[in-house]
Amino acid sequence: MSVIRNIAIDEWRYWRRSRIAISVLLTGLVLLVGSAFLTAIQMIDASHEREHLQTEAENAFLNQPERHPHRMVHYGHYAFRTPPPLSVIDPGIDAYTGNSIFLEGHRQNSAMFADRQASAGIAMFGALSPALLLQILAPLLLILMGYSAITREREARTLDQMIAQGVTSVQIMLGKGLALGGVTALLVLPLCIASVLAASEGEAVSLIAFFISGYALYLLTWCAAIVLSSTIMRTAGGSLGALLAVWVIVAMLMPRVSSTVATNIVDAPGKIETDFAVIEAVSKIGDGHNAGDPAFTALRANLLQQYNVDSVEELPINFRGVVAGAAEAELTDTLNQFAEERMRVESKQVRIARYFGWLSPVLSIREFSMKLAGVDLETHHRFLRETEKLRFDFVQSLNKAHAEKMTYLDDAGRSGDPEAEKRTRISTENWKVLEAFSFEPFPATDRVEASFNPLAKIMLWLIAILLLCRTIGRRAL
Amino acid sequence: MTRTVVEARNLTVSRGQTPVLSDISFEVQEGEVFALLGGNGAGKSTSLLTFLGLLEPTSGEALVFGKSVQNDIASVRGKIAYLPEAATLYPHLSAYENVDYFLSLAGIGRSRADVEEVFDRVSLQQEARDQHMERYSKGMRQKTAIALALLRETPILFLDEPTSGLDPVAIDEFNRLVTNLAKAGTTIVMVTHDVYGACQVAHKIALLRRGTLVGSFEAKNGERIDTETVHAAFAERAVA
Amino acid sequence: MTATAVFSRELRFFLKQPFAIWLIIVATGLSTFSVWSGLTEVDRQSATIERLLVADAKDRAAAIEKESDFGGAAYYSFHLTFDPPSALSFAALGERDVFPWKHRIRMLALEGQIYESDAANAELAQSGQFDFAFFLSVLTPLFLIILLHDQRASEKVAGRHDLLVATAGYGQNLWRSRTIVRVSLLGVGLFLPFLVGALMSGVDTQLIALVFLVVFAQILFWTFLCLWASARPFSGPAIASGLLAFWVLTTFVMPAASDAIVERAIPAPEGGDIILAQREKVNDAWDLRKEATMEPFVAQHPEWADDAKIERPFEWKWYYAFQQVGDQAVAAMSNDRRVAVSRRNEMAGWFAFLSPSALTQRSLSHLANTDVGSALTYQHRVRNFHAELRSFYYPLLFKNAAYRAEAFESLPEYDPAMGSDR
Repeated sequence: MSVIRNIAIDEWRYWRRSRIAISVLLTGLVLLVGSAFLTAIQMIDASHEREHLQTEAENAFLNQPERHPHRMVHYGHYAFRTPPPLSVIDPGIDAYTGNSIFLEGHRQNSAMFADRQASAGIAMFGALSPALLLQILAPLLLILMGYSAITREREARTLDQMIAQGVTSVQIMLGKGLALGGVTALLVLPLCIASVLAASEGEAVSLIAFFISGYALYLLTWCAAIVLSSTIMRTAGGSLGALLAVWVIVAMLMPRVSSTVATNIVDAPGKIETDFAVIEAVSKIGDGHNAGDPAFTALRANLLQQYNVDSVEELPINFRGVVAGAAEAELTDTLNQFAEERMRVESKQVRIARYFGWLSPVLSIREFSMKLAGVDLETHHRFLRETEKLRFDFVQSLNKAHAEKMTYLDDAGRSGDPEAEKRTRISTENWKVLEAFSFEPFPATDRVEASFNPLAKIMLWLIAILLLCRTIGRRAL
Repeated sequence: MTRTVVEARNLTVSRGQTPVLSDISFEVQEGEVFALLGGNGAGKSTSLLTFLGLLEPTSGEALVFGKSVQNDIASVRGKIAYLPEAATLYPHLSAYENVDYFLSLAGIGRSRADVEEVFDRVSLQQEARDQHMERYSKGMRQKTAIALALLRETPILFLDEPTSGLDPVAIDEFNRLVTNLAKAGTTIVMVTHDVYGACQVAHKIALLRRGTLVGSFEAKNGERIDTETVHAAFAERAVA
Repeated sequence: MTATAVFSRELRFFLKQPFAIWLIIVATGLSTFSVWSGLTEVDRQSATIERLLVADAKDRAAAIEKESDFGGAAYYSFHLTFDPPSALSFAALGERDVFPWKHRIRMLALEGQIYESDAANAELAQSGQFDFAFFLSVLTPLFLIILLHDQRASEKVAGRHDLLVATAGYGQNLWRSRTIVRVSLLGVGLFLPFLVGALMSGVDTQLIALVFLVVFAQILFWTFLCLWASARPFSGPAIASGLLAFWVLTTFVMPAASDAIVERAIPAPEGGDIILAQREKVNDAWDLRKEATMEPFVAQHPEWADDAKIERPFEWKWYYAFQQVGDQAVAAMSNDRRVAVSRRNEMAGWFAFLSPSALTQRSLSHLANTDVGSALTYQHRVRNFHAELRSFYYPLLFKNAAYRAEAFESLPEYDPAMGSDR
């Protein structure tokens, strides 16, 4: 054991004396700490801003004057997606999806105002979040520090000396691995500090610990690959070349190739295009503003029979409101079918892209990280579903008021009769049907469960590389 | 009748702050074999590199055919064939291809027959000539490099530890080769730490220790320089 | 020795190194893939537009047919606007996966419609597309670094350096000719696939020449950098590390940092604020006196002053007037946002000079009309079209024209090339 430790300590001493190693490590740490700091500020700001806008929107709704409930259906409401606590480390797709959505009757709007749409469009890999740095740049940093760990000893012929002293090949590899593991620990440290922030924002501590361990495991996989490469390659140049090639393929190429392949395999028609089909399907439902629409004949007959009356005027409830509610329900049903289909297609695309995680640990750690942090596509879909429920609930509550709080005659005659119009205005008390909205990602246990799959892919890589070290690596030394 | 071909005039060369050669002077005449003898780090290779223009003198002059090397590096390099210490050529090429490539670098073309002839002279195995050089032994690599130097057909030959890696038979052959070349008028400058080898072929020997000349010997009346004398001087003065 | 002889010698020499050949083959393969991926994406976009155009015309005709007044027709008829991909856009898909390039708009307040985005899958957009611009700006430098960083250091390690230089007369000539051979093979390997793609999609020669210049400049920059670095007296891996560090800093860090700086330096009004304000204004109109809407409307459109009297509780001209007043109320904010985005883009253009990769990327997407500027131009065209639509309907609505279907024969049609010289 002490042999392994001594090898690791010797490697650290080499780094301390190498200007390149020191500057690489320092640059990496400065970048990580800087980005952790900036991302935290930005996401906490965004979080407070959106919470504030949410409250403001709710107050605006509640403070509307007395009016006809259907006017409130069209007045609508806003829902904002507040970023989850771990987005201080991994903002995920936050900047790529709209983070607010306008909710109104008869329509399902898409989320608006992705941050990227106001950006200067110069960053080619998105913002430098701690997650991005750890996923893509940290491996490069480890490569630059460790590519020659063993080739250097071989080229300087000190390797023969070590073996002559009775040091085993496994001890050498473990020692070098331990040295790189130390660097990994240094790199993960800023992550731990930023996580304290996430914990204080209410994220489960056990989940955070799992999150950090995932990253540590990912970086250790790279450490193992680096030790392997420097063991089997004859020269430092060869080792660096091989590691760089691997890095370029898994970190630069694979993510883009995966998204290109996914869009080519699964065609996702845009919203405008599906809207034609929506319009066609919806046109069969009948206009909820028009109680005379033939689509509601059956509804009318049922109601008349239920209340045992002859005309809608005699009904104890406002038929126009009933129609509005029935039409909204049916419309929503149809719209949801389309929305679900759209989400299904998107999920399918993403699933295909994620298969590439078997080929690239970078994609796996990204999936793991976004799933755990609650900033992946599925979480965005959850947001869309929850806001749709919010929309449907308040619209239907207003439609209920429309049916129960006024007479049919007043409602039908209000555009000609100012007195009737006044009677169709209902009290502001009724606006309280709006539920307070605060978006929460999936529960911690669900997120942890969902992240097992990508973690398994990383584990598999680690195990495969360790096995290679045991077989090829031992023979090469 | 003789003219000075290679000359060092108070030559001083530094690498960084440390002087590697200080205030060296010598002359080599046409058709002479001149050996610079010294231990490790005496500055032997440095002097060759200076004459090739690969290092710049801090003071003094390195002259080839009476002209300062620095003034026209390319033309000087065209007159010198250089055999580096433990020369390696391209391992992914055969001996033929290597020789071909390096000759064309110097702007020379030689027929296959010419190359064959020189390979024969250095006795490089026939069957190896078309194989990639990564399979060559150290001696075969050295023979190929020597062949390359000979094929240049330059008036001057610079040899850096030319016999290292050669077996005793090959060393004898090589020494004969050098003597014959000199007789034909080629000027040869070699650096070595092999006292016996140097005494076999050299007309002049200079003893180098930590960058300064500490002795010189000359063959007289067509006899060889006495090995014992040089060896004694080497042991006494040239070993650091 | 003639130059051609020198190059043919170095070419023959280079082609005997299996590693080098593989590198060129891989580069050519990636370039081909990037071109293919760009071409299919552009095909998909064009096909989408084709399908949308047909569906849009059909849908609009059907909507208008159902109506019996101009107000209703204006309410239910949508108009497709789009920004067709340019011939060159296959090479630089640019910002089209983030900024919308198609909208279906109608006579209602435009501010409520123009921020809708028909965006692609967000998680895929985050990865980005593998297009030629990405290959050229991000990956090409890596290939050059691998090819060039150790051309001297490796000869030194192998003990051939001095012999090579002494034999060649001038070392410079040798390194230069080797560099030219390697770089031009790589250049051909990566430019040829682009050329094929460009000819297939009918890019005009002048534009191809400009792209060639960008490719040339990018390659030249990294070649000189690698040459400079490879002449330093360090080991091959140390030189490679240095070059790589420069690549990381200029390709990753600089652009992302510039983005952050630009965003802080030039604040833009939140889109959400614009739409909220606009929404309030439009909704308030229902509760206000009709004059409260018509006065600000007439102030902007004095030509309708005589027809601005609203007598019934609901009239279409009042309805569209308050839509327009809603837009007017946030015009300043909306304009600020556009100006801010455009200034951000401009400032980013200056920052791009700190990053050769970003500069390459931006130059290509500029040439391909897929940059932020083009997205803004498209938005501008949509606004103009909306204005055309209004000036078509206003006379019909304000003059209470009798409904006749023939009037729609002069309904404005969106022209994607309006006011441009593409």
